[in-house]
Amino acid sequence: MAVLPQTARRAAGIKDGARTTARATPYLFVLPYILVFLLFRLGPSLAGLGISLTNWQAVGSPQWVGLRNFEAMLLRDTVFGVALRNTLVFSVITVPVLLVMGLMLALFLNQRMRGRAVGRVAVFTPYVVMSTVVGVVWTWILDKDFGLLNAYTGVATPWLVSERFALAGIILATVWWTVGYNMVLFLAGLQDIPEELYEAARIDGANTVNAFRFVTLPMLAPTMFVVLMLTIINSFQIFDQVYVMTSGGPGTATLTLVQYIYTQSFQYQKFGYGSAIAVVLFLILVVVAIFQTRAYRRGLEGVS
Amino acid sequence: MSKRTLSRIAWYAVLVVVIVLALAPIAWMLTTSLKPESEIISTGIQWIPQTFTLEHFQSILNRYPMAQWTLNSLIVSTAATLLVLLLDSLAGYAFARMQFRGRGILFTIILSMLFVPIQITVVPLFILFSRMGLTDTYWAMILPAGANVTGVFLMRQFFLSVPAELEEAARIDGASSLRIWWSVVLPLARPALTAVAILTFLSTWNSFFWPLIVTRTDAARTLPVGIAQFLSLRPGMVQGQQSIGQSMAGAALAAFLPIIVFVVLQRYFIEGIARSGIKG
Repeated sequence: MAVLPQTARRAAGIKDGARTTARATPYLFVLPYILVFLLFRLGPSLAGLGISLTNWQAVGSPQWVGLRNFEAMLLRDTVFGVALRNTLVFSVITVPVLLVMGLMLALFLNQRMRGRAVGRVAVFTPYVVMSTVVGVVWTWILDKDFGLLNAYTGVATPWLVSERFALAGIILATVWWTVGYNMVLFLAGLQDIPEELYEAARIDGANTVNAFRFVTLPMLAPTMFVVLMLTIINSFQIFDQVYVMTSGGPGTATLTLVQYIYTQSFQYQKFGYGSAIAVVLFLILVVVAIFQTRAYRRGLEGVS
Repeated sequence: MSKRTLSRIAWYAVLVVVIVLALAPIAWMLTTSLKPESEIISTGIQWIPQTFTLEHFQSILNRYPMAQWTLNSLIVSTAATLLVLLLDSLAGYAFARMQFRGRGILFTIILSMLFVPIQITVVPLFILFSRMGLTDTYWAMILPAGANVTGVFLMRQFFLSVPAELEEAARIDGASSLRIWWSVVLPLARPALTAVAILTFLSTWNSFFWPLIVTRTDAARTLPVGIAQFLSLRPGMVQGQQSIGQSMAGAALAAFLPIIVFVVLQRYFIEGIARSGIKG
């Protein structure tokens, strides 16, 4: 469609100068964004990749060390191993919980009932509270002696102060904080499903369970894909709550990859090593994305 | 009772549980902030304070420049949102509507950055802003926010979904591309612009990792970074002078504004977020 003015111009025999301006126009439109993008996103990403191959330590000049940072990280740095494991454990628990709970809440609050709007607003409200506030509030709720949760359960669980329960405490806070976001995405997906499909299913004698299985779930697959991808990306980058609630402790019980990047890069000034950990995080996300996209494609083929 | 009535009652019972679970932590934060310290450290569950007090709010405001942090956050988030709206509506429009060499590859490169965690960029960014003498300034937080990817993507998706007839008509009338973008395209794009504005504002407002790194003083420190200083609560740490009541008062002050704004503008929030999940 956008070709029209150019051809029209040519047909009208407009001079070359005018045509050059027309050809430059798209670049002028994208230029401001591209400049900012190059300077503050793409450029720094590539630079980070480069720095990960050096032993730069803030002072002095960076020395090229090839893959030695990665070698040290994967073979000798046990703390890195702990951070990686904690991040994986956190994600493996949090992602399915956020997915299933988000979907269940969306299904529940999609029923045509009075009061569902209030429910939606309530479930989404925690998400507009900033992460560090969530951290501060949940540290208090999970307090061993005076916390609200232990007061109700009657068990003095040492949530954030013991290696055993600290990660669980952070998971609880995170689920409370972000489940509303997933719910809203699922609600949008549910509302895109045409009502006729359900009617057709009903005429075919399908009950609620069957309608869910054969209409809702397949129709929701694209939404599911997006939500899963976003949730995974966010889980692997968990930092804020940990920083506030335990700052990685007790010991290294809740140390995560991003927390480790932060400590190495900006507390020990090991720019090279910190960047190398960030590169590993990037590689993990890429692998997850590739696997997920493949599984999704295969799933689509299976349906059709 | 009929089966239908029963299932209605069950639905409302679940609704009440859901609402209570979602809001209880916020309510507990408020209650705690209004109790005297002696009442806070008591084992019973007291949802309504026996004695109301505003002392924690007073002392937290004396202790920390919360108003300054809030102002910093507001300035940074507003500026970042305006910047993103300008850059992304221009670029998104071009990517959707105009033919130019390199369009496909450029857009692919931009989208691929969705999978590149910002943690890779923080060391180079920190050095860049240090060299420019801009660490601990608003600029250091606003400019990187302008490079966001979702906004461009959402704007492009939107422009792909609306018919181009109005623009063509304006073009035949001899309007320039910039003119068309400003007076025809932007008014049409209001829903998409609102969505991008809300998403950008929310993510900048909540942004923590980068502001934590790049700010040093209260002159630039944003609210999330300021709040993170309320750490004396942290288990295993030596109890500072700051009380639990003060931390909760500070948290309540920081949570107050976004919650009010959200409740007032909830429809736009939910539409905006829903849009961010639109599959590409």
